[in-house]
Amino acid sequence: MANFILRKAEPKDVSDILRLIKKMANFILRKAEPKDVSDILRLIKELAKFEEMEEQVVLTEKELLEDGFGDHPFYHCVVAEVPKDKQSVEGYTVVGFAMYYFTYDPWIGKLLYLEDFYVMKEFRGYGIGSEILKRLSETAVKARCSGMHFIVAEWNTSSIEFYKRRGAADLSHEEGWRLYEIDKRNLLKMTSK
Amino acid sequence: MRFTICAAKPEDCKDIARMIMELAVYEKMPDQVKISHKELERDGFGPNPFYQCLVAEVPEEHKSKDGHTKVGYALFFYTYSTWKGRTVYMEDLYVMPEYRGKGMGKALIATVAKVAKEQHCVRLQFSVLDWNKPSLDFYLSKGAEDLTAKEGWHFLRFHGIALDNLAQEAP
Repeated sequence: MANFILRKAEPKDVSDILRLIKKMANFILRKAEPKDVSDILRLIKELAKFEEMEEQVVLTEKELLEDGFGDHPFYHCVVAEVPKDKQSVEGYTVVGFAMYYFTYDPWIGKLLYLEDFYVMKEFRGYGIGSEILKRLSETAVKARCSGMHFIVAEWNTSSIEFYKRRGAADLSHEEGWRLYEIDKRNLLKMTSK
Repeated sequence: MRFTICAAKPEDCKDIARMIMELAVYEKMPDQVKISHKELERDGFGPNPFYQCLVAEVPEEHKSKDGHTKVGYALFFYTYSTWKGRTVYMEDLYVMPEYRGKGMGKALIATVAKVAKEQHCVRLQFSVLDWNKPSLDFYLSKGAEDLTAKEGWHFLRFHGIALDNLAQEAP
């Protein structure tokens, strides 16, 4: 647990203060554009690595481009961008993203489904995640959605706490819903019968 | 028993709404149904459909005791996986109890799978209540995997007031 003191700054602190000022979030949120696909894929892979499933990312930039910016978009995306002077250690300015799409609940109608939501580690704690979530919920309300749904791995307690603090309910826990999947191989088996 | 599986039409929405309620009753959550056939029509058959729907129909001579010939449905939409790409999410699959065991459920899900294949989707996802053994058995026989058990996924949501509060939160 954090062991710290608060004290009045002294002249010797100025270089640390300047460092922290520079770190302070100065960012914008904007709709993703085709030019962002390589950053989006990079962030997708970083998030997958955190979820310990990096090898499961088989999506390519080409597919992301076609599927998000073609005639029939399968997803929508917002990105968080910092100015060049605040870029990450590796030189990136796109430092967070959220991918979402609209789904349908036959009981309550339109929903916004949050597929991925991630902010690079060095840019956390500055309100970028909160601002993204706020922007998405505004989008949901504007589009007359009854709710925003998403899934979280049960071991991911920090994310679960982040969402619960903001009023999210765990439907798997409260109502017993479990996520199932039929993969491509079994899908093809069904169509050939 | 002969039956057909067809893409739903706007005029099917009353039957679909009826069956949505029947499924909600089975899932023990009928008070959670808030929309009617009007919203279904607007949201499924406008210029920007939010879902796709298949309907299972029997000939007149096999109509239900209440006179219905539309006896099953599957409601689904496209989603996206940042790992694997295009996915179909099957939101509802239902056959009226008196028409079960005749291959309609199998035909409905196989047609959803066919649509998924045509749209180059790599998988079909859906959710099932943990106590719903007949459905779980049906899906497992088709090769479904429980990702909640395997990978620990839980469904979360922001709903109603919680969503409004989130939208109003100061930065």
